[in-house]
Amino acid sequence: MEKLKKKIRSFSFWNWVIASIIFRLILIYFPKNLNLCSRPEVSTPLTSFRRLAEGYWLKQSSMSPYAGSMYHGSPLLLSLLGPLTVKRIEGQPNHLLYSLVSVIADVVSAMLIRATGQNLQVAYFGTLKSLDLVKQIELSEVHSSGDVAALIYLCNPFTIVACVGLSTSPIENMAVILCLYGACSRLVPLAAFGWVIATHLSLYPAILIIPVHLSFVLAICDLLLGYGPDAPPRKLFLQRHQQKGLSSQSKLPPGFSWGSIIHFAFWALLWSVYVLVLCGISLKQFGGLWEMFKSTYGFILTVEDLSPNVGVLWYFFAEVFEFFRNFFLIVFHVNILFMILPLAIRLHHRPCYLAFVYVAICSMLKSYPSVGDSALYLGLLGWFVNELSDMQFSLFLFCGYVGVSLLSPVMHNLWIWRGTGNANFYFATAMVYACLQIVLVVEGVSAMLNHDRKLRSLILDKPRDAKS
Amino acid sequence: MAETKEKSHSDEKPKPRVRPIVRLGIFLVSHSFLVSVVCFTSGVLALFLLPVLAKNTYISENALMPGSASPMLSNHHVSDGNRLVKDLTNSNLKSSETGIESHKIIAKYMLDVGAEVSFHKFHPQMNQFHPLHFFSSPDSGKIQENCSCSSYGINTVGIIRAPRGDGKEAIVLVTPYNALTSSFGEVLSLGIAYSVFSLLTQVTWLAKDIIWLVVDSQFGEYAAVSAWLREYQTPKFSSHSTLNAEMCPDINYLFEIKVHSMAGSKFSNSFRRAGTMTAALVLKVRDQSEQFDDTVSIYAEASNGQMPNLDLINVVNYLAVHRQGLRVNVEKLWSLLNSGWLKSLGEIFESLATIAKSLNPKFKFGIPATEYVEGIATLASSLYYQALGVPTGPHGAFRDYQVDAITLEISPKFSLDKVWCSDILLRGGRLIEGVIRSVNNLLEKFHQSFFLYLLTSPSKFVSVGVYMIAFALLIAPLPMVAASLYVDANSSKGDSSFLFAITDTDEHGITIRSWRWLNSAKSVFIVHLWGAIVSLLPYFICQIPDCSPTTSFMIWVLLSILSLLILNLVLASPLACVKASQEKEWALVKSVTISSVFIGLGLMSVINFATAEIGALLMVPMCLLARPLKLDVRVGTLRSCCRIICNLVLGHIAFPPAAFFLFKGMLDGFGSANVGDFWMWVESLWAWNSATYLFIGMVQLPCWVLCVSILFHSC
Repeated sequence: MEKLKKKIRSFSFWNWVIASIIFRLILIYFPKNLNLCSRPEVSTPLTSFRRLAEGYWLKQSSMSPYAGSMYHGSPLLLSLLGPLTVKRIEGQPNHLLYSLVSVIADVVSAMLIRATGQNLQVAYFGTLKSLDLVKQIELSEVHSSGDVAALIYLCNPFTIVACVGLSTSPIENMAVILCLYGACSRLVPLAAFGWVIATHLSLYPAILIIPVHLSFVLAICDLLLGYGPDAPPRKLFLQRHQQKGLSSQSKLPPGFSWGSIIHFAFWALLWSVYVLVLCGISLKQFGGLWEMFKSTYGFILTVEDLSPNVGVLWYFFAEVFEFFRNFFLIVFHVNILFMILPLAIRLHHRPCYLAFVYVAICSMLKSYPSVGDSALYLGLLGWFVNELSDMQFSLFLFCGYVGVSLLSPVMHNLWIWRGTGNANFYFATAMVYACLQIVLVVEGVSAMLNHDRKLRSLILDKPRDAKS
Repeated sequence: MAETKEKSHSDEKPKPRVRPIVRLGIFLVSHSFLVSVVCFTSGVLALFLLPVLAKNTYISENALMPGSASPMLSNHHVSDGNRLVKDLTNSNLKSSETGIESHKIIAKYMLDVGAEVSFHKFHPQMNQFHPLHFFSSPDSGKIQENCSCSSYGINTVGIIRAPRGDGKEAIVLVTPYNALTSSFGEVLSLGIAYSVFSLLTQVTWLAKDIIWLVVDSQFGEYAAVSAWLREYQTPKFSSHSTLNAEMCPDINYLFEIKVHSMAGSKFSNSFRRAGTMTAALVLKVRDQSEQFDDTVSIYAEASNGQMPNLDLINVVNYLAVHRQGLRVNVEKLWSLLNSGWLKSLGEIFESLATIAKSLNPKFKFGIPATEYVEGIATLASSLYYQALGVPTGPHGAFRDYQVDAITLEISPKFSLDKVWCSDILLRGGRLIEGVIRSVNNLLEKFHQSFFLYLLTSPSKFVSVGVYMIAFALLIAPLPMVAASLYVDANSSKGDSSFLFAITDTDEHGITIRSWRWLNSAKSVFIVHLWGAIVSLLPYFICQIPDCSPTTSFMIWVLLSILSLLILNLVLASPLACVKASQEKEWALVKSVTISSVFIGLGLMSVINFATAEIGALLMVPMCLLARPLKLDVRVGTLRSCCRIICNLVLGHIAFPPAAFFLFKGMLDGFGSANVGDFWMWVESLWAWNSATYLFIGMVQLPCWVLCVSILFHSC
């Protein structure tokens, strides 16, 4: 029975994957009608395809790709994707090849999410087993979190729009997911590679180093105790063992292990040197690495481009007085850094969830956000479908996301094309969007903590029940 | 959701205090019935109060300074205009087979006063169905391949370069003129425009170029204006138009004659441009008049309920009333003027105002009952034309390029003989001159005054801040009722499933409890997808040749039903409904439906307020009242009987075609109703790219289907 159910589920999973790919291909054939490429929600100065093409053109005509503040991405993307911007096939849409690359990137990301989700689920069951909560598993309605997460990622309209709208965010997302996959599968070189590439492409994933480390640390524990990357707090296991009367300290997970960190650091250093050397080679005539740092990371950190997007920074920095600008730049960026430590302490036992929270916070506070970033964290949210089953305001959040994603183009139209609105109209939707993300993160974290509490209460109540 | 559950457990376990805002939310949600009744009635009441709340218009932009200079249009210019009128009427008598002769006359007159003249040849473009048009920029239009020479129109364009300007801004004056069947009114409008034009070539204060566009209205005024605007704003760099011109002999003849006979003059063969358009005035003169005064009617509604800046209307109104002694008129729904209940409502408001005034003399908000009725009639027509989303005149084409434009229609008191003709030429000319002079003073484009408003009389308006309150009150019950239904449906499972209360007897250890709405969301999504398909179907149906409106409508209905069935079969797979037989499934479906309607109405209120308002009046009660008939029949109390009746009535009224026929019947009587009418109406909506069409197809129709399915839900 169980097997049959699983079979049906996986069958429908592949159906949905194929359907979503076909849907993307259909949309790719109508690029002119949709004009997604020029929407501010889809393409930011960092991810815009047109800027990539411009950078490639500049480079081909032996100028610095960063000349004229047009292109702000990595030089590696220019070498890899640049040729696709000019290559055309007769009778086909202009950017077919590049669109196909982003479709492939999406599918690969979805598969990696699925594999990671399955890992996490196995670990989750393992945890419950080691806590003697097997009965709860049998009774409960458990969804295959890997499938759910992959399908959320693939069928999310945000992902589809980012993919069809020819932005580079599918590739950036793939790098982040690769990093998380490597961390969960304990492949140190792969995780380090994903981390280095993701950081190189969009800088903000740099803070993922903490969850990745934590997951390696926990992986060591895993060898000892048999619980996986995401698990309830260690205290719980301690209590469990005390109840059982096993007070053997040797079985308890070690707090910290330098070995894994050094291992990761070595690989990260290796990969980053590799990437920098490649960048240096490709930018040898055009000002070298310093130029690259200035116009990629510098551009991200100083928020030079104030064209509207779904974030809140553009409006703020358009309004703020010039002499306060530096101060507020520091405030906004430190905002992200401030949240790292408390969250890491509170959620250190669940590195994957911590990674989700970090990604969500980054996509909220980053200087040039787009819907592609939301696509990433919404996909990651699917991993925790079982843990977050008690999340509040789910319908409210869903309706909010739908409403904002419809309202945003309308407000933009009112402002830009009809002239009856103004920038405040569009900014209002950006603020609502930011609030929704905040509510999502807050509710998500509290639901996860509640879940841990519930597990604890189950463990603590059980002996009492047995006695009574 | 969980807060209420927490409440039920609060006696067992002291919970942390709930935040005040959440407590307020819980309070509203738990009293949702009362709140929604109060909100809805006050929303309807606020709509009827709008004429009372309307403010007097005022000139917001200081630079306009209307009427501060004395008019310079003299009898000399009027006689110029008279000459043109005479020549044109004579040429009509002489050779009426082609309009070329009269175009030549107009061009000659323009050249005589020293303006630059060019002809713009265009092919009337069929309005096409662009479902995504709203979200994209105005496109340049596809170049049509096969245009026969017989179907083209010629716009004559005269441009005066401003002596004080830098040629970067322009004011457009449009006069529609059909050379083949020209009426005296049209010729007179040309006369007025020409007298102003001849004045403007001499004045020294002109800072913006003047474009006088004589529009060939044989294919409709709007098509001609929009063709010229498209050419003006988005130049085409293809050789198509010139090729076509060469292929058509008689237009070549026109061009050649001009070039030869007026060598050295300012005639040019190519398309001439001036600067960015600041404002545009469309001038018309009506032939027959039923008015007791010389009146100017103002038409302002452009596509999708967009209005020009209120300052433009204010300037025209001020100059017409205070300088030229013309009566200003805006559209009214005449049928409402005689309705008794509106009059009595007005009297009630009036007496309330007098009572309030007797209490405190500072309260001055009452208006006389007759004025109230007129205000309501004007407001209703304002709402109606905005909701339709179809422009009320050629000025609508300008609004697509963010140019503020209105149509002025002058209707003289007496039939048009020579004496009155000069009088109209003088007064109309001075009005136009005054408006142009005022707009000429502008330093920036119109931005100071309102774009979002409703008129209740030519000098009174309701701004967005006021009418949005009425709308917000109307739709405020929706989220509350949705939340209360959602809470009900979720808490009905029993208390044992609460977070801390899991025991071994509990059936579901860890369930996807808070995500149960996903199933209902799926069905709602399917219906909305169906709505999108239904609104795309006419695009294919109108490709079928030789189809009468009635058959097209029938095909549409059949295909719609078929697609609904197919969608249900394909997408409602048995896998997804793991727990289809949830007891309160209808409540969840209703909750999600109401949420989607709320989103739809909120969205539409931004795109086109009037549509959203009318839609809300229809859909909100239907959504709120929907409840399975079986449940009500089972109860059988008076209240449930009332609800059944309301549900059935609303279920019939809110069906879009039914609502259409009801409206039509109210306006023109039920005698002439025909099934094909609805198709014609829908066709006109999508031909004009009206967002109302998308609203009906993707919000109202799915909402109706969902409500009906809730009514017939088997629970």
